[in-house]
Amino acid sequence: MSAPTMEERKACWGSRDEFWQCLDKHADDASKCEKLRLAFESRCPQQWVKYFDKRRDFLKYKKKLETEGYHPPEAAGKS
Amino acid sequence: MPLRLPHSPTPGLPHAVTHRVTHSLPHGTTNTVPLRLTHSPPPGQPPRRTLWGRAPRERGLPLWQRLLVAGAVAGAAGALWLSLRGQKERERQARRRAELRALAVGQGEFRLRDQEGRPRRKADFRGSWVLLYFGFTHCPDVCPEELGKLSQAVELLEREPGLPPVQPLFITVDPERDDAAALGRYLRDFHPRLLGLTGTPEEVRAAGKAYRVYASPGPRDEDGDYIVDHSVLIYLLGPDGLFLDCYGRGKSAQDIARSVRRHMGSYRPLPRDDDGHDGQ
Repeated sequence: MSAPTMEERKACWGSRDEFWQCLDKHADDASKCEKLRLAFESRCPQQWVKYFDKRRDFLKYKKKLETEGYHPPEAAGKS
Repeated sequence: MPLRLPHSPTPGLPHAVTHRVTHSLPHGTTNTVPLRLTHSPPPGQPPRRTLWGRAPRERGLPLWQRLLVAGAVAGAAGALWLSLRGQKERERQARRRAELRALAVGQGEFRLRDQEGRPRRKADFRGSWVLLYFGFTHCPDVCPEELGKLSQAVELLEREPGLPPVQPLFITVDPERDDAAALGRYLRDFHPRLLGLTGTPEEVRAAGKAYRVYASPGPRDEDGDYIVDHSVLIYLLGPDGLFLDCYGRGKSAQDIARSVRRHMGSYRPLPRDDDGHDGQ
């Protein structure tokens, strides 16, 4: 299986960006963006879909840190 | 020294000298008078003593001449100190450059093949400035971004007249999939002079180790596809083969070009070694 070409990469990134824009608009409600999700999954290799999903989670977490600050999780039983 | 009568002080002598003094008296008589043991001034006169117990000199060099002599001595001492310090600094620099030369030869070695199948070693790039990136062709976004940045940096430097050319270099961290043909296809989309290197897993691992590259292939899916997690840096190598700088994801193409230009400006070639390799 050969690596995606530049055109294929750009098509994948484009569909990813559309899907993410939809999620941003609907506060991460994936049910509202199903069509774009399918397009995204068809244009990108499976490994890349997983990778970009994780990346989205990370970017959202990073944004949360930047806006809300860091709140360490409550650890029961630890001093 | 004229003979002095016992009761007047003798300048410069800390202790009295006893000796017999004979002086002429009327015919037939002699008189020997021992000198007293202490120098006391004649009555009425204040004691003339310096801090050391000596009587001070009555005349010496004038103040301005004494200052001149002191200044000359201080100046000579200062000049000697500066020259010794300069010599020490030169020796330190020479030692440092010898260390760097040894490092330039031994450090960052690789033995790989390019996308045309030609063998390539680090020594082949001596005399060239090199911007090096480690990545893989199945990379989702980071590698295309970084290679795009690298290509743009090289283009910016090419546009400046008088600068030596920079060799863009790509080394794979995924030797299993990235053979010469795969590299050829992948790198076509970037700078025309971008050279891609691959090899056996051992050769690739050795090259990555030489540059402290972290690379870890992830789990495979049912298609056998996987993503290689790896450290992301663009390395700058000088014409001696010495590692000079590295640029992370936060640096733009302009940042990289500016930094390379600065390194080119301050670059001094390391001294030749015995077998004539001088980085040319």
